[in-house]
Amino acid sequence: MPNSMFKNILNKIATAYGKNPGKMLVHTGVIGWVLSSAAQVCAIVLNDKIPKEQKMFLIPQEIADAGVNIVSFYLITQSFKSVALKLVNSGKLLPKAVKDFLVYKGVGDKLGKAGFDVYKSGALTPSGIKRLDSFKDGADVIGTTIGSIISCNLVTPLIRNEIAAHRQKKSIARMNTPYDVASNVKTPSKNFVKRPSIVDFQTQAYSKSSLSI
Amino acid sequence: MAIGKLAPIANRVTTAVAGALPSATVKNRKINRAISWIGKKISSPQNRLILGVTALMSQPFIDLHNRKVDEDTRKVSAARTVAKIIAGTTTGVLIRYGCIKAIDYCSMLPEQISKSTRFPKLRSLFTPSSNITAFLKDLSHYKKALGTIVSLAVMVVTNFLIDAPLTKYLTNKFIDKNNLNKNIPNPQSNTPILAHKEKTVKEASNA
Repeated sequence: MPNSMFKNILNKIATAYGKNPGKMLVHTGVIGWVLSSAAQVCAIVLNDKIPKEQKMFLIPQEIADAGVNIVSFYLITQSFKSVALKLVNSGKLLPKAVKDFLVYKGVGDKLGKAGFDVYKSGALTPSGIKRLDSFKDGADVIGTTIGSIISCNLVTPLIRNEIAAHRQKKSIARMNTPYDVASNVKTPSKNFVKRPSIVDFQTQAYSKSSLSI
Repeated sequence: MAIGKLAPIANRVTTAVAGALPSATVKNRKINRAISWIGKKISSPQNRLILGVTALMSQPFIDLHNRKVDEDTRKVSAARTVAKIIAGTTTGVLIRYGCIKAIDYCSMLPEQISKSTRFPKLRSLFTPSSNITAFLKDLSHYKKALGTIVSLAVMVVTNFLIDAPLTKYLTNKFIDKNNLNKNIPNPQSNTPILAHKEKTVKEASNA
């Protein structure tokens, strides 16, 4: 790889994640789950100790785990992170020193109002921005971590188990349907037609003879 | 519905939630310091560890209480979940931590490199351009981000070579330890599978 291209990649990573640790946790988390699920599916397939019926549950469970994780990670984790950042940016959640400074500057009544941005309208000093930045980073990581615990460890297992149980039920039902082993073609089900028994013939014969008398 | 289409809805929801929450000022200096410390120190290895520990406290119990499947499946599923969490968390934390340390070693700023510095070229191998370092001022988040990205590349290999076999080994250990297989039919033989299948279908349909 040419040196300039390598530096370009490094610069892009630095620009994207250098000031946003929560964003990096979301993106790398998603890729990590996909990779892990792919490996785990292989592990289940290659595990001879797990019976077929359990594999019918575990494989869809693992695939659903990755799919649901991505969706819930983006919806729940991203939402928690977003709420945390909005609380800090709008001035609803602030460290005391920064809030006191903003009140002193005469913007105390605007704090927490929709559209208010502490960074743009707060006229913070460089040291105040630095202090708010580190506080915001902390709120970002706390929000991302709480969101990922809820999404990955509570929502995902519940949904993936539902999906996997449904898939297992379907697979077992499919296994139970009769197949013609020789041709591997599904045997058409025959309608039951009641055939006349010997008793029916006798009854009919006696009834005929009684009529003739 | 695509995730992209959900983004504006999610944005509206988060704005409404943030608007509905009460204002708060963090007065306690220790709490303020703790929040700043979390932002500075907690990165992907610690995040992975927190997720792993909380996963161990929740996921096996969710699997064990899954009434949509029969008891054997529930037990195997919980055993595999515990094995997967242990294997994934151990390798995930170690690889992320090692990669971040390696990137930290190789991302020295030019002004930090002196004549006594050993391997000066290697020490600045992952340092971004000077205009970016001037913009960022602090490279700690960048180092953690790059370290995590490199660790993901490493985990493409280790997930298959370490995680998956370790999960398989631990799952089998847990299954053996709990003697789970005493009621589970041999996958090679047909008769018990059919009997077991009927039982599973019955239990699943009851659920």
